[in-house]
Amino acid sequence: MNRIIKVARMQLINKATFIGIPLIILFSSFLFTVVIWWLVRRNDAEGILYGGGAQAPMWYFLALGIQALTLTFPFSLGMSISRRSFYLGTLALFATCALVLSVFYYLMGLLETATGGWWLDGRFFALQWISENNWFIQIMFYFVLMVLLFMIGFLIATIYMRWRQMGMVFFFTSLGVVVIGAIALITFTDTWMQFWEWVMTWSAGGVTLWGGLVAVLMAGCSYLTLRKATA
Amino acid sequence: MTQATAIAIRDLTKTYKDLKALDNINLDLEPNRIYGLLGRNGAGKTTLMSILTGQNFQDHGTVQVFGHEPFENDATLARICFIRESQKYPDDFKVHQAFAAASLFFENWDQHLAQELMKEFDLPAKRKIKKLSRGQLSAVGVIIGLASRAEITFFDEPYLGLDAVARQIFYDRLVADFAEHPRTIVLSSHLIDEVANLLEHVIVIDKGQIVIDADAEELRGAAVTVTGDAAKVQEFVGTAKVLHRDALGALASVTIESQLDAGRREQAKLMGLDLSPVSLQQFVVRSSLSSASERVDEKSEAWS
Repeated sequence: MNRIIKVARMQLINKATFIGIPLIILFSSFLFTVVIWWLVRRNDAEGILYGGGAQAPMWYFLALGIQALTLTFPFSLGMSISRRSFYLGTLALFATCALVLSVFYYLMGLLETATGGWWLDGRFFALQWISENNWFIQIMFYFVLMVLLFMIGFLIATIYMRWRQMGMVFFFTSLGVVVIGAIALITFTDTWMQFWEWVMTWSAGGVTLWGGLVAVLMAGCSYLTLRKATA
Repeated sequence: MTQATAIAIRDLTKTYKDLKALDNINLDLEPNRIYGLLGRNGAGKTTLMSILTGQNFQDHGTVQVFGHEPFENDATLARICFIRESQKYPDDFKVHQAFAAASLFFENWDQHLAQELMKEFDLPAKRKIKKLSRGQLSAVGVIIGLASRAEITFFDEPYLGLDAVARQIFYDRLVADFAEHPRTIVLSSHLIDEVANLLEHVIVIDKGQIVIDADAEELRGAAVTVTGDAAKVQEFVGTAKVLHRDALGALASVTIESQLDAGRREQAKLMGLDLSPVSLQQFVVRSSLSSASERVDEKSEAWS
């Protein structure tokens, strides 16, 4: 247990990586959005303004998942850390960061609603599709999305660490085959209309649930892969 | 302090695709000694150390460190330190941050020693690790190895890129610290003469097999080179195992694996032959080469 916490502390030695950079990305994308809204309002635009900048730090987590593994994993082997401790410590730290940020998103969403969209009727944090749910689903939605992106990066990096280039070629080729297969299936059965109708029925709660399941599945796969990875 | 074996290796085999990196290795390492793990590049030194530290896996055989399998065993791993020659560090780490990380995981970590060594190696604490020169990078590994004071410490070609002065600092510090804090040290090297005086026990590995596993003291007198008139040299050498043979006209110089007693030495003198000691490096080189040629002989016999 002790060494798992130490792994989390090791990942935090450079605080910029897990805390500083995501905050910089979030605040700069937020400021840019507000400035753009303000410019738009000056030109007498009507209606609600939407900004997608809240997802900006989430994409950084994809890169963070890759970086946590390719750079820190070989180092942690040199620090005589078992793969299990490395895995649990890294995931625990990331989950904590994601949870804190998710609560922050929720609180900013409340503030956004209270200020009438930052006095500009803009929507950055409280996108209607998400903010119409209760607090728990809102926080879990952000949380699952962040963990999912981190796990995608982490899993791909684990496959690389274990099987190197051959693993990458195999993984992305298989992924391509599956995606093209799905597209072909929908095209040949002429069911694109039904597909998009089905997508429109997705709720934030449903996405959270299924996304969470996929994240857990990927976490399991990356652990099994990491067990036999080498520096 | 327990005198049980520190490391026990049985029938260890590791194959990479078509290369036998380790071929049925058996070894026992005692605690609190300095071992030299010697051999050519690609002989299997790093693979062996990686398996001993749970960083890699064997195909066959068992490895026990203080009586336990090291693989995924935090309690056992915590007693080992192995900084590999090509050790990777997180890209954004500065030198002092790498030491901060090491201080988390090695409970005997001596920050004071680390700081002293940083000064002696002239290592800039605030520089990013990826900006360091090869020698400075080696110094980081050497400092982690020494300051961790782990019960078993592996040094994997620790001197790469280090100048002669820095290497001497490393050797001196190693001996001084070992005297105060005895532990098991495995020094992998191919600069054999430089480390020869440090070593208490020598293990030579060649093409995945153990060629020599003996006390350093024993090896120092294990071979001798006889030089003189070719016929007389041949007569003197007799049936002793020949490691190497050089001939120049009527003169011959033959290295034999044999401990000469006073009588034999007197005999050599009377026959007008010169005896010269063989350094550890020469002995290892000759043994590796002759073991290689033996293998070739075996193969050609099998073919005929």
